[in-house]
Order: sequence, then structure tokens, then C-alpha cells
Amino acid sequence: MKKFVNDPAKFVPEFMKGIALANPDLLDFNEEFQMVTRKSGPSSSKVSIVQGSGSGHEPAHVMAVGPGMLTAACQGAVFAAPPVDACYETIKAAASDAGVLVLVNNYQGDRMAWDMATEMATAEGINARQFWINDDVAVEDSLYTVGRRGVAGNFFVMKACGAAAEAGASLDEVEAVAKKVNDNVRSMGVALTSCIPPAKGTPIFELGDDEIEVGVGIHGEPGRRREKIHSADAITEELFEAVSSDIPFKSGDRVAIMVNGLGGTPITELYVIYAKAHELAEKAGFTVVRNYVGEYCTSLEMAGASLTILKLDDELEKLLAAPAETAARIF
Amino acid sequence: MSAIPQADIERAIRTTAATVLRNEHYFSDLDGLAGDGDFGTSLATGFRVIDNEWGEIDKSNIGAMLLKISMLVSKHVGGSSGPIWGTGFMKAAMLTRGKEEISLDELAEMLGAAIEGIQARGGAKLGDKTLLDALIPVHETLKGHCAAGDKAAALKDCAGVAEQAIDETRTLVAHRGRASQVGERSANTPDPGIVSIAVILNDWCKEFGIANTPTVAEVVNQPA
Repeated sequence: MKKFVNDPAKFVPEFMKGIALANPDLLDFNEEFQMVTRKSGPSSSKVSIVQGSGSGHEPAHVMAVGPGMLTAACQGAVFAAPPVDACYETIKAAASDAGVLVLVNNYQGDRMAWDMATEMATAEGINARQFWINDDVAVEDSLYTVGRRGVAGNFFVMKACGAAAEAGASLDEVEAVAKKVNDNVRSMGVALTSCIPPAKGTPIFELGDDEIEVGVGIHGEPGRRREKIHSADAITEELFEAVSSDIPFKSGDRVAIMVNGLGGTPITELYVIYAKAHELAEKAGFTVVRNYVGEYCTSLEMAGASLTILKLDDELEKLLAAPAETAARIF
Repeated sequence: MSAIPQADIERAIRTTAATVLRNEHYFSDLDGLAGDGDFGTSLATGFRVIDNEWGEIDKSNIGAMLLKISMLVSKHVGGSSGPIWGTGFMKAAMLTRGKEEISLDELAEMLGAAIEGIQARGGAKLGDKTLLDALIPVHETLKGHCAAGDKAAALKDCAGVAEQAIDETRTLVAHRGRASQVGERSANTPDPGIVSIAVILNDWCKEFGIANTPTVAEVVNQPA
């Protein structure tokens, strides 16, 4: 294993410290709870949005903190849910008279930690609620889930909820936005390689040189099937078919398309996938209104990609287009 | 007097930590019969932190103390036991916010709330061969003592009922937790969660000077 690591046990606080140092006007970092908060703090008149999960998926979720997105986020160890006290402190740090919406990707560990933290915060008089995200169409139940997993579609939930909160929407309204996005977003991923958690030092699963895992999870969970690798177009067709047939999306739909890199795939390859996905969307009669190509929800250095399609309406289009400032940026 | 001062609750928690640490390997060995053999270590990892950080834990009132214990347990106890035991402490904490002593009735309410929370968190019910099979009859026994208000008699009976639960559930097949994955193989093995409750209550009797003679093998045979 070759990695830029000092002490594997300090990997998470060290990269978080780097994120905070690189964004001094935007973020505050609390090392004890592995928590990042907006420098400007919560606004008493606006709903706060928080999230937290295992590390290894950056820029989700600590790099999504900032005006127009999350109010605060915390990280567990690599691929491990954050501890209850960190979740509780994150909700407290984001506490607002307008309420707190906790966006949780559907994994058992994350749900249990946030369940408890939300109950504790509620007992303290904080108006906090949870919303669970489950956009991955690959499998119904998985290693760490009952029901579908939450993956890259989470970005759209955070973005739309963050924008709605910024515009002054109530907690009920922001929760309705979360539900609308989650109901209309679908994703599936494919892995070309495994990934190596720093503390483990070895790949979390084995994949042959000529094999791909179709429907892989962002913690290396098994997907639908293992296949021999084929062309980028053929793989994209497989992802597009699985994702677009799920709601199903239909001709005339206005959509956002995301091609998300899983951490070890160059941007050029993501654009090869995007080109085919865009062509397939037009052929299916979709109007591609917004597109996203890059890394939004990764799995350490896994080579691979996921395709996400979100059905839009006027409200969601406006929320996605609203400005936001986070540590994840390209300029 | 049926009131239970905060000092007694602190003693009970410290005793629990000592019990869990002394039985680390014993509980894991019991878990290894049908489960994945990590129960003792998982529990001990969390209670070792409670032991080490005891001096820094907020003891301004019972609720504040139990909330901190809940967080430490949830955070440091491994596997599914963390959220399950942590939820129990959290529910008890919520009913004791700002209190410096509690009545036997309140103790029964705390245990009832803890049981409900654990059921909601883990989805287990009576007869699934989990620690609830000890906690639920203990709760019933405790409620039965509330009117008379004799703390010592209540604790002794609760310890006895928890011991019986080991024998009463021995032949059952586990329906929750890792042991449920081995199905029939879990029959004729004691559930380590149930044993842990019985051993803890037996040790509480000793700590508070209440005569109690265990009769069930798993409690009798625990390491000295």
C-alpha cells in the first residue's frame, strides 16, 4: 500500500484539519468531535441542515458545509458511522429556532447514531428531525442496510435543502424538499478496482484485473453482479438502463445528470461516460437541464463511477441553481 | 426509606463497570457458543472508558450523569451492544433530568422506558433470547415491589428473576443479533446478554450488602 498517511489513526482529523486550514473564512473545525461548522454559525431565522457519516466519501459531507449547503457535519472513522456524542454535538452546534434537519444516508450504523442524537437533542428542546436518503437502485438490502443505500444522490438532497433553508423555508418545507428530491433521484455505481482503508492497509474486496462490480456500494459492498470489463459505452448503457427504468423516468422529463467519480478515476474517463449518458438521455426524450461531472461522493481511491439522474421541476431547478459556497470547488 | 440517592446510582454504575471488566473473557466465551464471541470485549471496551473517565463525568444530577454514560457506552461499546445499551441509559437519563434522588417507582419507570427504547432500537421482543428476556421480568418484579418500597427486597428478587431468565431461555432459538444467524445451533446455549444482567444484579446485591445466593450455573461459575 502506498498512501499519503502518517498515523492511520490520525488520518481523519488530519485531513479535516487541512480542509479547515484551506478554508479559514468559511469553516471552523472541532477535533474532539471531528466536526466542521460554518464560520458564520447557524442563523436563528433559518433552518439548519446537518449530516455526518463515515469518512472516505469526500467531498461528502464535511466539504459540503457552507452557506447554501450544510450548516455543520461530522465524520466517523473511515467507513464507520460517527459516534453518538459527535452527532449530538453537531445538532447542538447547528441549533436554530427555525429547526434542524438531519440528512442521513440509509445505513444502519448512521441511522442508529443519528436516531439517538436526535432524541437527545429533542429532549434538550432542539427542534430536530431526520430524513433518510436511499437513492441507490442496485440492491434492495445490503451489507449495512435494510432497504436501499444512500449514495451520490445525497448531493442533490443537500443542495436543494440548503438552498431552501437559505431562502427562509420552514422546517416542514425543507423536509418536503428533501422528500421530493429523494423520491425523484436514482443512482447506480460500478467499480473497476477495490479501495484500501488506511487503517486496514489492504483492499476491502478482491476484483480481478479484467473484472468490474456492477452496482457496487460506496463501502465496497457487493452490487448486482460481477462481470468481465467491456467498453465505456456498454457500461454506461448498463448504468443508464438500471437508473432510468427505476422510477421510471419518462420521455419529456427535465433532468439533472451526474457522473460521479468514486475516487480513483480521472475526470477524462468521467466525461467519456457523461457523453454517452447525455446521448442516451436525449434518445430517451429527456431534456438535460443541469449536469454534474466530477467527484461528489467517493469511496477512497476506488476506480469507478456512478450515474445519478434527478427528475426536475421548477422548484428544484431554482434550488439547484442557487449560489452556495463550500470547500468543494473547482475555481 | 424507599428513596434512592444519586450516590447509590453512582455505586451501581461503578459496580457494573467492575463486573463487566472482570467478566470480559467469560462473557465473550459464552457469546462464542452461538454468537461471534465479541460480547464481553465489546462491553468491556466501553465500561473501561467509563472507569477511566469516571472523575470527569458530569455528576451534577442523575440525568446529566446517565446521559454522559449513555454517550460513552454508545460510542465505545462495540457492535450492536453500543446503541442498545446506550439507548437504555439514554431513556433512563431523560426521566431523571435534574434529579438527585429517585423513588423505587421512578426506578421502575426508568427501566420501563429503557426497555421500550431498546425494543425500538433493536426490534427484539420477549422470547427472542436477548437481554430483554431478563430486563422485562425484572421490570415486572420491580413494579411489584413499588408499593411496599423495600429497596433491598426488590433488588434481591430482581436478581433472582434475572437468574431464572437464563434457565428459562436456555432452550430457545435466538431470533435477533448474531446468534440468530446460526438458528437451531443457538438452542441449549445461554444468552450472554441475559447472563450479564443476572451477574450484574448479583454483584449489586453484594455491593449493597444484600444476602443473595445464586443457583444458576452461569452466575455461580463467573470468575471471582
